[in-house]
Amino acid sequence: MESAMWSEKYRPVILAEMRNQVDVVNRLKRFAETKAMPHCLFAGPPGSGKTTAALCLAHDLFGERFMDAFLELNASDARGIDVIRTTVKEFARIATISEVPFKILVLDEADNMTADAQHALRRTMERYTDTCRFVLSCNYSGRIIEPIQSRCAIFRFVPLEAEDVSAYVKIIAEKEHVHLTEPGLRALTSASEGDLRKAINTLQGASSLGKPIDEKVVYEVVGKAKPDDVQELLDVAAKGDFLKAREKLRSMLVQQGLSGKDILKQIHSEILRMPIPEKSKIELIDAAGEIDYRLIQGADEEVQLSSLLAHLALASSQKRSS
Amino acid sequence: MNAPWTVKHRPKMLADIAGNKPTIQQILDWLELWEKGPPKKRALLLHGPPGTGKTVSVEAAANERDLDLVEINASDKRNRDALEKTVGLATRQSDLFGRSRLVLIDEVDGINLSEDRGAVDTIVRLVEDTQVPVILTANDPWDPKIGPIRNATTMIEYRRLGLRDAVPYLKKICQKEGVEVEEQALRLIVDRNQGDMRSIMNDLQVLTSGRKKLTYEETTWLGFRDRRASIFDALKTVFTSPTCLQARRATDMANVDLDMFFEWVYENAPRQLNDPRDLSHAMSALAQADLYHVRIDRTRAWELLPYALEMETAGVAMSKEFTKPAWIPMKFPERIQLLSRTRKKRAIEAELGRSIGARCHISSRRAIHHYLPYIKYILEKNATEGDRIVKWLGLSEDAAEYLGVTPTPAEESTVVEKVEKKRAKTRTTAAKPRQKKKTV
Repeated sequence: MESAMWSEKYRPVILAEMRNQVDVVNRLKRFAETKAMPHCLFAGPPGSGKTTAALCLAHDLFGERFMDAFLELNASDARGIDVIRTTVKEFARIATISEVPFKILVLDEADNMTADAQHALRRTMERYTDTCRFVLSCNYSGRIIEPIQSRCAIFRFVPLEAEDVSAYVKIIAEKEHVHLTEPGLRALTSASEGDLRKAINTLQGASSLGKPIDEKVVYEVVGKAKPDDVQELLDVAAKGDFLKAREKLRSMLVQQGLSGKDILKQIHSEILRMPIPEKSKIELIDAAGEIDYRLIQGADEEVQLSSLLAHLALASSQKRSS
Repeated sequence: MNAPWTVKHRPKMLADIAGNKPTIQQILDWLELWEKGPPKKRALLLHGPPGTGKTVSVEAAANERDLDLVEINASDKRNRDALEKTVGLATRQSDLFGRSRLVLIDEVDGINLSEDRGAVDTIVRLVEDTQVPVILTANDPWDPKIGPIRNATTMIEYRRLGLRDAVPYLKKICQKEGVEVEEQALRLIVDRNQGDMRSIMNDLQVLTSGRKKLTYEETTWLGFRDRRASIFDALKTVFTSPTCLQARRATDMANVDLDMFFEWVYENAPRQLNDPRDLSHAMSALAQADLYHVRIDRTRAWELLPYALEMETAGVAMSKEFTKPAWIPMKFPERIQLLSRTRKKRAIEAELGRSIGARCHISSRRAIHHYLPYIKYILEKNATEGDRIVKWLGLSEDAAEYLGVTPTPAEESTVVEKVEKKRAKTRTTAAKPRQKKKTV
């Protein structure tokens, strides 16, 4: 069955089809040619081509039937030490009988693995180096423990250049017979912020209206996909209605399933621009930093973030009274 | 509107009081005797556990018989001089308008021997000479310090309320308040509070606040059995204690699960503390307590527990500085309710995430953010395209229904699609991650 999501349908199959991340792709091509590769760590933002690069590399190495020698695990779904100890080990320890003497195991979102699971992984990587190569992908390489980093060749993926996003989107629009206007394309490119998956999903969403895609349509889809919840949250807290703010936060966490860390990141990026006393901003930044660390330690997202909102409500009330 | 139910629904008439009917009749008979002059024993000592209706029956009796009620309780100073001035005067003179009088000395076992010096002797003397009926109450009549009072009075015992008395009474209250509470829930609340009507009413008010219906299951969240005080009292301690030591006792008072206790405090702090300065401090203390709880979970270092408990009790109590006093009812932790209400929704979203993730090489958590909003949008705007996506994802009926899609009749899908669908289904329901197939 043909892929219904365009981001899958048009995902490059071989390395030669990848147009961006030129340096990375060139190095990977050499692995495919020599049929030899080290463990790899792909670091970069979402939608920059990490998973695609891993899939393409496997395809170039093993050919059409690459699934036999290829396993993809999402570390954030299948995290934890038991998965590393069982699934990963099972796959890694059995050698292949083919031209290429190793298998590839892709661990996506490896930065979401606990430190303990990473240490377990490190041992497995060492023990089965002969039969299996690991490709770890992550957003931040800093969250991968040093011993693993030192065992991997590190590849840094950067957000796609605007022209690359434009070029990809244009091709897909043509193939799908979608009328994408020039302003629509510009809006799509800028809204995607170098995230090709987001660009393609937005295009597909916009095309479902069945009319020419202009700026307006693009922004409607973008707005639907990511409502400005954080801004609203901050506004309510700044007005001093803490209970309402907490309710909003709760619904974002529980009903929309947003991660506390993402919400915190967005709040943090707004702090310097908030209409509150300058000194309070420093306190808020300090509090946000502390909370970020606590969330990593596994603290309760709502309790921690609502303490930040209470700080903000206080800072705003001071601004009002001064 | 927000008055405590213990005040709002306090019985005004004897017939309105739940339970202890024969006991109440005894009081009435004794008051009847006074019509013909002072009887042999001029005072009654009503004794029994808290919340059984001792004080309220005296008040209702006075109201019904139009007696002038003079009341002294533990909050008044009760040394010899003070008692002489109030009770002494009341037992000798009648009301200005010639109304008969009734004197109530509440909680006599709460007399403090050093602060209320001479109180017991004074009471005994007043009771022996009184010209008007005197009623005393006590939780523990066998307290040695009130021995002389026992001898000077007729003792009448109040018993704990049983289900047969309490449940019909509570049903009436619920009806008046316009809330529907399952009988089983009422029974549980009565049981847990061991027939103490005051704390039953408090719990009932807290549990039903802001809702029209209360089920048995929701009531079980309260989760305490060998209860010493209600969670209500413990929270009151947290939000009103002037000292750290006093606030710290809150966790010992309510025999609630500690996680649940945290949720209660966390839910109510912003309601009880109405000044942003106080609230900011309190929320910081709670966030700090949460951090200690996490460290305990992670390291199993239970010796850290006191720090967590002290932050969430004393830390919150000491935050109160600028808050204006007000009586605000305590609320049941909404977060717990929300989590249980949205459990199904979250399960379906997780399934959607897994289905999308299996097809799009992404974790379920991220799939929910990177794909689901677009898919929802497409479904909303373009049914044909949306249907194609739903089929491709091989969603279960539940998930498709959640997305607002009516499941396609089986004969419409081809055999290949059916097999595909079945396979996708097993893939999404399997606990272990499986090898993902690349779709080209």
